Amino acid sequence: MSEPIALRHGRVSLALHELRGGAGRKLLCLHALGATSESWREASRAWPGPVFALDFSGHGRSGRVRGGGYTPELLTGDADAALAHLGDAALAGVGIGAYVALLLAGTRPEHVPAALLLAGDGLAGGGALPDPDRDRGGAFPPPEFHPADADPFVAACGIDLRPIDYARAFAERARRLVLADLGADAPPWWVAAAESAAVERLPERTPAAALAALART
Amino acid sequence: MSTSEPSYPGAVAPERSRDFESSGIRLRLHEWGDPDAAPVVLCHGMFDHGRGFDTLAPLLAERFRVVAIDARGHGDSGWADAYTWMNDVADIGNVMRSLGRPCHLLGHSKGGGQATEASCQYPDLVRQLVNIDGFGPSPEGFRPPGFEVDPRSLPERFATYLDRRREGEERSWRAYASLDDLVARRKRQNPRLSVEWLRYFLHFASRPVEGGLVWKADPYAAGGFGPWKPEWANAYWHRLQAPMLAVIGSERDTWGPLPEALLAERLAPIARLERATVAGSGHFCHMERPRETAELLLGWLER
Repeated sequence: MSEPIALRHGRVSLALHELRGGAGRKLLCLHALGATSESWREASRAWPGPVFALDFSGHGRSGRVRGGGYTPELLTGDADAALAHLGDAALAGVGIGAYVALLLAGTRPEHVPAALLLAGDGLAGGGALPDPDRDRGGAFPPPEFHPADADPFVAACGIDLRPIDYARAFAERARRLVLADLGADAPPWWVAAAESAAVERLPERTPAAALAALART
Repeated sequence: MSTSEPSYPGAVAPERSRDFESSGIRLRLHEWGDPDAAPVVLCHGMFDHGRGFDTLAPLLAERFRVVAIDARGHGDSGWADAYTWMNDVADIGNVMRSLGRPCHLLGHSKGGGQATEASCQYPDLVRQLVNIDGFGPSPEGFRPPGFEVDPRSLPERFATYLDRRREGEERSWRAYASLDDLVARRKRQNPRLSVEWLRYFLHFASRPVEGGLVWKADPYAAGGFGPWKPEWANAYWHRLQAPMLAVIGSERDTWGPLPEALLAERLAPIARLERATVAGSGHFCHMERPRETAELLLGWLER
């Protein structure tokens, strides 16, 4: 396995893995909450061009954010550092990676021709609105959340609020969004994003099949 | 130290200052009073620091163990790699838990909002809560004098934020030639605070560098980006079990108080609420009127 490309975002060092080289349209893969770029190795074979996969801060071989402070926007800054390195790239994101892909596709439409959003861990966050009855008395990070290769404090990206007007603003500026819920329940931000004009829905049930469908069009 | 410690009428330096580790970040705690007395934990506002309580704390210390926190990235506490509201709230919880018995909790401005949230989140740790003018921003947000609202769309503003982060260089404060320049800067923002007090308070908010003084606070401490709505300010406050004393100053100021109708709306979910107004004070009751504020608190806080 080759050494990852080292990038910097703020005070944290990031690992960008080149899963496959070559010429053609680049793909940047974004993993789910608590996962790593490794989770993309198999599925990304469905993409015909060069493939890169990022370890978000706090995950895999990227640095940890001292004292916590993980937010989807911070992770979007991670993905933006990778995009700056790659130039232009299609995005494929799972779970929190899908939400990050939405934010980045809406922020850098000139560099993101398409973004594939897939259901997975960290997709819903803490919902669209504060839940007044949510149990907030527990310890943070929750003791039951102990990912094998991630900082437990990344759990903050599983409880942040994702209002629908916020998601919609990014969806409306994205060039092309492709959504595949893989049969999972769609959170409110996803439903809102799905109403935007640039969105296509895919019936495919696996990341590899969805990626192949994205590559065909 | 190149400069000697300043003095200010009524200000007493902490009797003990110590470090406390919270979620991997070193926090500086300043203490006054009998270590065996009931604890009162003090939480400061944005870009302030724990020594801002140097005039209030010694008056409370006659009856309490007073513990003022330098929030992460502020005062003499360590810097984090990123800052969020929930981390500050968790820090407050960690400090209270370490004191070994339920606390009285007091916060000012942003620290008041965070103290309120910590009280909702850790009900077993809080006996009574004092919130000094920390009831969330108005729907228009906090605006320093002269600040213009950015009319661009959310993604366009986020692009600017990401552009700055791409630049990759460590953000830093410019150096001010002298303490008087720092005082003048802050005085423009908070005209009600006296020059004499600001000379004292900002001495502890700054550190010497080549060419003058810079703020000690981490330039990234206010640097986040994310969704927020005014109606989220009090979204969890119906869960507050401890009684709250809601304090405002009588005078209009840069950051408060909120218009009465809005303030009443924000406070509506609080089950055990008392309200008080410090006469002749603006937003910074504990700095502008420490004696009156202490008298109010000593009359309300249970021993």
